[in-house]
Amino acid sequence: MAARILVVDDEPGIRSGVGEILALEGYTVDTADCGRAAQELVSGTSYDVMFLDYRLPDVDGLTLFQSIRQKSPRTMTCMITAYANIETAIFATRQGIDIFLPKPFSPDDLISTVDTLLGTKKLRDEAERLRLAHEASLRQLASEQSQTHSLVASLRDGVLVVNRQGEIALANRSMEEILGIDSGKLLRTQVSSALAEGVLAPALAAFSPDSPASVVFEAEAGLKRLFVTVSGFYDETGGLLGRIVTAVDITAVRRMAVEKARFTRTLVHELRAPLTALKSIVEVMRDRSLGNDLDPYMSFLARADERIDGLGELISDLLSLSRIEHEGAVQAPAGPTKIAPAVYEAAELWKDRAAAASVTLEVDLASDLPALAVSAEDLSTILTNLVGNALKYNRPGGNVCIGGVRTSEGLEIAVRDTGIGIDPANLARIGEEFFREKRSETKGIEGNGLGLAIVKRLIDRAAGRLRITSAPGSGSEFRVIFPC
Amino acid sequence: MSEAKAKLLFIDDDSIFLAAQAAFFKARGYDVLIAEGSDAALEILSGASPDMIFIDLMMEHHDSGFVLARRIRREERLKSIPLVMLSGVASETGVGFTREREELKSWSHLDDFIDKPVSAHRLLKLVEHRLSERKGKLEER
Repeated sequence: MAARILVVDDEPGIRSGVGEILALEGYTVDTADCGRAAQELVSGTSYDVMFLDYRLPDVDGLTLFQSIRQKSPRTMTCMITAYANIETAIFATRQGIDIFLPKPFSPDDLISTVDTLLGTKKLRDEAERLRLAHEASLRQLASEQSQTHSLVASLRDGVLVVNRQGEIALANRSMEEILGIDSGKLLRTQVSSALAEGVLAPALAAFSPDSPASVVFEAEAGLKRLFVTVSGFYDETGGLLGRIVTAVDITAVRRMAVEKARFTRTLVHELRAPLTALKSIVEVMRDRSLGNDLDPYMSFLARADERIDGLGELISDLLSLSRIEHEGAVQAPAGPTKIAPAVYEAAELWKDRAAAASVTLEVDLASDLPALAVSAEDLSTILTNLVGNALKYNRPGGNVCIGGVRTSEGLEIAVRDTGIGIDPANLARIGEEFFREKRSETKGIEGNGLGLAIVKRLIDRAAGRLRITSAPGSGSEFRVIFPC
Repeated sequence: MSEAKAKLLFIDDDSIFLAAQAAFFKARGYDVLIAEGSDAALEILSGASPDMIFIDLMMEHHDSGFVLARRIRREERLKSIPLVMLSGVASETGVGFTREREELKSWSHLDDFIDKPVSAHRLLKLVEHRLSERKGKLEER
């Protein structure tokens, strides 16, 4: 697009002459004979170059220039005057006039002036564009840096950034806590001295010039277990810019690993015990230790059968535990489930066993019980286990009662028995995986110690509570309180 | 009936295992004592001196077998009886007593440490081996 030029002069000859010459050169030219006319034009059009007479009838050229420059700062301005002297020129230039053209001037003078001004403008515009772009990128950088800082600061893992000179460039609060150093004290200190004494000292192995690319180790910080990694970060050409030390808290993971190992160990024992018994029975039979007649082996076979059933139950319980874990601690809203059917179902299930053990089994439910936000399956598992235990740990002539009542806390289902009770020393461990009371009274009672562990988890995920009260020798009461 | 080959004591919390070992070894001419748990074992040992003792590791507690073995070893009369620990605790899975096994063996003066389930025939071989070894030692003296 052709450059637009404004000529402001009160001399008609200058206006028409300059206008014609510049138009012939291909420029678009407007003219004004006074300050006011110039102001009007400038307010509507943006000019690349302006020729301005030093003296105008209504205003002096420099005053006009200042007011125009405010509206249109990127217009290049040439001052033209017949009264040229060096002082005027210096003064005008100081005011921001770009060039000074004394009258009279030749067409060539005019054209070369325009060329100069347009060339300068192009350079200035480019410089301005670059300045704006630079400013924008600086602003972006600043906001990215602040984002990175707040991101790193809020990380729960400890982070330490060390520059190529071994100086700490960034350390978040978690890292300061791990090292026990006051906030901000790590910045710009040498990593070698900052880490020398603390739990992260092994990280320093990564900071010598011939050190490996990354270092990984575990450290103890108070009660915490940390997983520490040191790795380098590089520019595009692969040059080392610095190193990052991260310390991740793996205490919970470690604890889980220990618990899992303990669980596995106990489980292996629980699986091997019946296998050992079964194998010994098989060997007695194959060896015909009790002779060729089958009768003496029958009591062994009956007990083998019991152990096989026990193994089957153990496997089912393991699957239940696994299912509960898989479904997660928080279950999608379940129910509503009516209590009475589940209670009568559990009573029916154990009816024969109760009769065989000479234990009476009764149900005592209040009439206005609301439905529960728990799945029918979970409620049934809870009740079956609790009633089963109440029977197993009972005595001939004893009683088991399943009660249901509304209390201020919610809905309470209680399973009471008149059995052997629980040793107070063991009460806290009831419900622990595989835990079973070993007392003379519990001898011969089958079980794997997973039933109550399952019950506890199911109650937990229904936001309920389990309360156990027991008196050794007179019985136990398991109360399940569901919110409602 | 001829005289028993030797007197064996099995200590375990599993009554089926005990009954089966008793049947197996009695049929092969051994005199068998069984004890269901540590207390029963101590009671038997107060009045008897078996030629070989088998102890289950996990009975009342995780380490009942070790504690019992150490108590037995303290008694002069029972000091040199071959002692075998049987355990269903996972050894090859890397959890349990694997690492400390040698240390525990010497702590409770065990002669052997065997994983359950175990074959009675293997126990029989062990009995024959240990008893002939012992007989050899006695003859040397």
